[in-house]
Amino acid sequence: MAEVSLSNVKKDFGAISIIKGIDLEIKDGEFCVFVGPSGCGKSTLLRMIAGLEDISQGALRIGGRDMTRVGPSDRGVAMVFQSYALYPHMTVGENIGFGLRMTGHDKAEIAKRTAAAAKMLQLEPLLARKPGQLSGGQRQRVAIGRAIVRNPEVFLFDEPLSNLDASLRVQMRGEISRLHQDLGATMIYVTHDQVEAMTMADKIVVLSAGRIEQVGSPLELYHRPKNLFVAGFIGSPKMNFIAVDARPHDGGIEVTLPGGAVLQLAGSLAAAAKMTLGLRPEHASATGAGDAVLPAKVHLAEHLGSETLFFVGLADGTEIAVKADGLAPERPGDSMQIGFPARACHLFNADGQAVLNGDLTR
Amino acid sequence: MPHDPQPARFWKRNQMKIAPYAFLAPGAVMFLIYVLIPIVQSIWISFQDWDGLGPKTWVGLANYVELMDDDTFYVALKNNLLWLGLYLLAIPMGLAAALFLNQNVWGIRLYKSLFFFPFVISQVVVGLMFTWFYAPDFGLFSQLIKWLTGSEVAILADERYVTYGIIAAGLWPQTAYCMILYLTGLNNLNFEQIEAARMDNARGWRLLRHVILPQLAPATFIAMVVTVIGALRSFDLVSIMTAGGPYGSSQVLSYFMYEQALSEYGYRMGYGAAIAVVLFLIMMVFITLFIMRMIAQERNR
Repeated sequence: MAEVSLSNVKKDFGAISIIKGIDLEIKDGEFCVFVGPSGCGKSTLLRMIAGLEDISQGALRIGGRDMTRVGPSDRGVAMVFQSYALYPHMTVGENIGFGLRMTGHDKAEIAKRTAAAAKMLQLEPLLARKPGQLSGGQRQRVAIGRAIVRNPEVFLFDEPLSNLDASLRVQMRGEISRLHQDLGATMIYVTHDQVEAMTMADKIVVLSAGRIEQVGSPLELYHRPKNLFVAGFIGSPKMNFIAVDARPHDGGIEVTLPGGAVLQLAGSLAAAAKMTLGLRPEHASATGAGDAVLPAKVHLAEHLGSETLFFVGLADGTEIAVKADGLAPERPGDSMQIGFPARACHLFNADGQAVLNGDLTR
Repeated sequence: MPHDPQPARFWKRNQMKIAPYAFLAPGAVMFLIYVLIPIVQSIWISFQDWDGLGPKTWVGLANYVELMDDDTFYVALKNNLLWLGLYLLAIPMGLAAALFLNQNVWGIRLYKSLFFFPFVISQVVVGLMFTWFYAPDFGLFSQLIKWLTGSEVAILADERYVTYGIIAAGLWPQTAYCMILYLTGLNNLNFEQIEAARMDNARGWRLLRHVILPQLAPATFIAMVVTVIGALRSFDLVSIMTAGGPYGSSQVLSYFMYEQALSEYGYRMGYGAAIAVVLFLIMMVFITLFIMRMIAQERNR
């Protein structure tokens, strides 16, 4: 059992800086997810924790011990790769037991621990097969088995579900979460899929261009994004952004929405400024209930059964998404009244930093 | 003349069935004329007494009986086995060279080309270079031996060393060939597997044995095939460096066959053909093994 701590960790490839100084504490037993768009450095950061990439600067500690310069097999970590990276010439059993064999465990011990890992992952009937004869989901389980058998203190997952089809992905997501509960080990999980991040994580780390944008629990990030990047990255469909004029008014903030409607928000502001208002599709009201009501024209309606997703144009041409009831009758071309509840509105300044979070508490 | 639609329709209906055979035909015809028929002819001639021009006389198995009593045949057979065994060293040596050259340093392309060079030059040139290398008085190798031991050894004139000397010359280009095969294989390694192995504490020799070599198995197989076949048909180096000498002590089967059938020692086509048939049978053992393995792999796929 171990906590992972990174202090001012950097990675350069030649003159190009990939990881630009990461400070992060991951608690013992925590399920921590790194998310970010492709190229943000999340996989590189994971590989640096694994020891597969050198750490150019800064320090890495696992379980209180300095691991910055320690080899990958001596860090007490195990990794599950995106392509599974199973050894094709070995059977499932040999694949799982390979690490123990390489660390010099005796045959009986290897057999015992392989059997235990196989039982945990329901791989027992497949132990004599080669990876080529397995389905994608089974290969994924073998890759996890290979990690479990070594009893690591920290599990690292590098986009482990991205090669699976949608239904299998949901199933494996559940299995990994269950595994985390059973083992109680620290897990670090890299994904670009924010649904995986939201459903599995205790703690999400949002990365962009080699820097941490925000660290927090899934709901913390959902309700109180620190900046436009996190606001736009977390949540699906993504948050609507609307350019507004904001000014201080009566101990609060008054914003003018497209079409002239005025909305009173809490918070304080020094001077009038152009700002960005953020409102999630699920908080906008298609029935016109809210503190400000804007007329809009339906561009597109997606009927999902449980809900309807409207893409509507505001007076200045901005298109926003609005979640509505599954039986909402409006069709493209129809007019709608969109309600903006003040307690759900986020406000970001010109630098993209949050001035006000619409966390539904006010 | 009224057009008969029958042939056109036959072609349309059976096009898919005929096409593969049509494409196969030119190669099959060539193989028949230049490989299969000569094999049958050789076997036929091995039962005759024939000087290549005059009439043939049927002698049955007499050529084979004579061969069984021919001391040179056993020398050649023993040397061929020696070739087979030692020539296989080219595979680990080629692998070692490939692993050594498989790195990113400045000018590595030049070094790779230099290592590959012996395979590009003609075997005749390789033979001549090694002949000079071994030559008493001025050869570098002789000088080295002299400096080390104080006495000179004429490798190619000493029946104890001559075959080893020729095989060493043959290993030079063959190692280069195996190296190229392995370099290609190393380019296609799966790096995630190697990283997984590093996480699994496999390093150095164990990483090579358990993870890298299995991935190089196709290259090893091809290297094995070309090396075994190369050892069995060794001819040019023997011909250039010693012509089978001294006193026939560096004979190999293919050179023995040539000597009996086509050189100034006599034009004994029947006897030469009998040697060829024996060599063919030895090769068939290996070719059959290789083909069986290839078929097994195809099935596994």
